[in-house]
Amino acid sequence: MYSYFYDTFLQDRKYERDVALLETRLTDLGIMGKITRLALFRDGLEVIRDEIDEGAQTLVAVGDDNTFRKAIEAVGDTRTVLGYLPMNNKSVFADLLGIPTGVAACDILSARLVQEIDVGEVNGRRFLHALECEASDAVVSCEDSFTLTIPGKASIAIRNLAFPDDAGVTDPTDGRLSLIIRQSHFSLFGKKSELSKLPFKRAHVFTDRHINMFLDGGEKLQAKEFDIRAIPGRLRLITGKGRKF
Amino acid sequence: MAKNGGSETIVAKGVRVEGDFVVEGNIIIEGEVRGTINATGDLQIGPEAKVDADIKAENAVIAGEVHGNMRINAKLDMLPSSKFSGDLAAEILSIGAGSQINGTVRMGVEEPAKPARGKRVAAVAAEEETE
Repeated sequence: MYSYFYDTFLQDRKYERDVALLETRLTDLGIMGKITRLALFRDGLEVIRDEIDEGAQTLVAVGDDNTFRKAIEAVGDTRTVLGYLPMNNKSVFADLLGIPTGVAACDILSARLVQEIDVGEVNGRRFLHALECEASDAVVSCEDSFTLTIPGKASIAIRNLAFPDDAGVTDPTDGRLSLIIRQSHFSLFGKKSELSKLPFKRAHVFTDRHINMFLDGGEKLQAKEFDIRAIPGRLRLITGKGRKF
Repeated sequence: MAKNGGSETIVAKGVRVEGDFVVEGNIIIEGEVRGTINATGDLQIGPEAKVDADIKAENAVIAGEVHGNMRINAKLDMLPSSKFSGDLAAEILSIGAGSQINGTVRMGVEEPAKPARGKRVAAVAAEEETE
């Protein structure tokens, strides 16, 4: 059974046509299901969890990356399959998962290519893409066996699923997260950037002061200590062939 | 160096690692490491790196400073800028001109130890006595 969650912004008139086209296509493909509209004064997480409790086997987030984040949080440890119909052109998750925007995403949903993907957890909150923060004199303890001391200012990212770049490719199915540390040094020849990279299963990040840790480019956590771990194969996602892993 | 299926670990200049550093895959060290390094893949130590650790790896290329015992399963390449002190064991060893090694070096494939001839004779004599 498919259960669709429409984000609040889709009630705007400018999305009326897009939503109608989407529903027509879903009906044509024979995968139309129950529709729940999230509202401003209703707790989205609670609404989605209620649907899971009622037996929804496939949850589909219809909206933007915020909608999808809520769905990831709500799915938690259940084995519910999660799909995504992005309605905005600016969607990081859609690009990573190889899902086109709008009506074209219905075909990906219909093809139902389900992949088991690792999910990350920081201080009890789940993330799919990455954590990012700027820290000074941070210490990272990994796997309870060794520590990394990062003197000075550094940009720290913990990745699960990310676009390939100079730090390489991250594999969200290997049961590990990647710690990426970027530091800048000044010398006679100018500014030089140093990159450290370390795969891990569990780590603690400690700092002297409270720092802001950004989850999946959105939500902000503020703390001096972060407990981070990889949860292997926890999320069952419908992905497209153009996915970045 | 041989390519390993695992992912790569990089410790950049300025970063210090302390403890039992267990790495699945290859590792590149440009910073500082203290403790032990146990890599399932290949190890590369950069010219400005400082390592004070017991090391185990498949292949290794050393350009920096290493203190500790090193056991390399296949090939160890000591570049001209490298400095090493400790016990070293490798199947194949290449030393560049100018490289400094202080300690013991063991090379080649280790064969399982055979019992000493004297002990074997004594064991046969003991068997004959019991008969």
